[in-house]
Amino acid sequence: MAVIKWRNHHLEDIEIALLLEAMKARYGYDFSNYAHASLKRRLKQLRDYFDVPHLSHLIPSLLYDERVAQVIINNISVLASDFFRDPPVWRYLRDEILPRLATFPRINIWQAGCGRGQETYSLLILLHECGLLDKTRLVATDINVSAMDEARAGRWSARDLDRWRTSYLAAGGQGHFDDYFQREGDTVMMVEHLRQKVEFNQHNLVTDEVFMEAQFIVCRNVLIYFDDTLQERVLELFGRSLQRGGYLLLGRAENVLQSSLAGRCFQKIDAGCNVLRRTAEVAHAGVAHVEVAHAGGLHVGGQHV
Amino acid sequence: MPGGCMSGGSMYKLLAIGFSAGGMPLASGILAALPGDYPLAIAIVTHLPAGQDSVLAEMLDRVSSLPVAMVIDKTPIQPGHVYVAPPDYHLLVENRDRFALSIDAPVLSVRPSIDVLLETAAEAFEDSLIALTLSGANSDGACGMARAHELGAMTIALSPLKTDFRTLPDAVLAAVDVDYIADQDEIIALLCAAGECA
Repeated sequence: MAVIKWRNHHLEDIEIALLLEAMKARYGYDFSNYAHASLKRRLKQLRDYFDVPHLSHLIPSLLYDERVAQVIINNISVLASDFFRDPPVWRYLRDEILPRLATFPRINIWQAGCGRGQETYSLLILLHECGLLDKTRLVATDINVSAMDEARAGRWSARDLDRWRTSYLAAGGQGHFDDYFQREGDTVMMVEHLRQKVEFNQHNLVTDEVFMEAQFIVCRNVLIYFDDTLQERVLELFGRSLQRGGYLLLGRAENVLQSSLAGRCFQKIDAGCNVLRRTAEVAHAGVAHVEVAHAGGLHVGGQHV
Repeated sequence: MPGGCMSGGSMYKLLAIGFSAGGMPLASGILAALPGDYPLAIAIVTHLPAGQDSVLAEMLDRVSSLPVAMVIDKTPIQPGHVYVAPPDYHLLVENRDRFALSIDAPVLSVRPSIDVLLETAAEAFEDSLIALTLSGANSDGACGMARAHELGAMTIALSPLKTDFRTLPDAVLAAVDVDYIADQDEIIALLCAAGECA
């Protein structure tokens, strides 16, 4: 056998492929269509966290120890966010999108990728201030159960409160931001009456199906972590979940319309804020059948292998 | 020493530039000096206060004869184009063909991070990368330069003597034995020479 000198980072690519394969075979979580560069950065942080010389050392650990697997899953999948990140987007929602949603008799909103919930509750605050809370059903989903538990608890470090308040005001907030929280030492907790208004369900965009007909889907800065194949799947899923004429909000720097087949079902209505409107029927490219599950019957992402 | 012209081969493909405080005039001067047929793709990460960051692409577009655009997710990497990171996103090189973005935690309290750009650029482009750091009041960029050097890229650091904001150049020089420590004119000469090779 010829000995070829491999650069370490190419070896790391092999290790990552093996690790993802182990994760998929053992736990049913398939991260193989996540965007490579950011996934690799996160996995290398794990190597440092577990203090192992190579990522491949984690493979036996994750196979035999679910806690290790859970740490890896958390590290790969938790989304960072903030209250009212990108204030102009929230102002646009308040001024343009919510008045249009108000014309529907009922408003079903699906927030995909809720992480620790900052964005979910930003949405609730906005709905509350626009007087739409009573006719709205808000379902927030994430692949990551432990992040979602934190979201459900609605409790965060008070450290970032000043920044969030500034964003809230820049987003056109009409009340007193601090009134939405109870202060408890170093943490702040979302007030009870808003926490009760959201349903949290585990949902894996890689494997799970449509579960509700929505008039508005919010999925910001999730697709940037996916490759083309997975972006296409998710967009197709959104296209089937959204009522015709419904709206999809993506992250400001996300882009799905150029290359994507499913993207053709959407029209951009605001370039700066990245709000899309579902206009056409969704082509069922590569989708054998359509399952519409009830919200209560979501199967648990990743656990069904 | 990297930087040798390989006959008939195209040596360098991507120029990645990082700077923060004090770097804007330097970067503008460098971009203004590069010819309209410059063959490398150019990726830029800088730390600017919120508000100024969104007009960075316009400011650079005014001085450069190369087209300048803000990256959106999975933007293709094309020769002779200049790409800047969008505000509050990390800019990554996904592979030799495309960029990617993330909103992962800030690195050294900044997002976008120069380290993130340089490290991912180095892994994708190895010795066909030129990594350049200018001035800055934060050491973000030093680890990325070290990684770029390790993987065979040409590394150029602005001389700390040529700026009031020398935290970045000092950190780079402490972290890695760069190929060139240069002033603005020398950087332009190096980049033009590298373009001739491409």
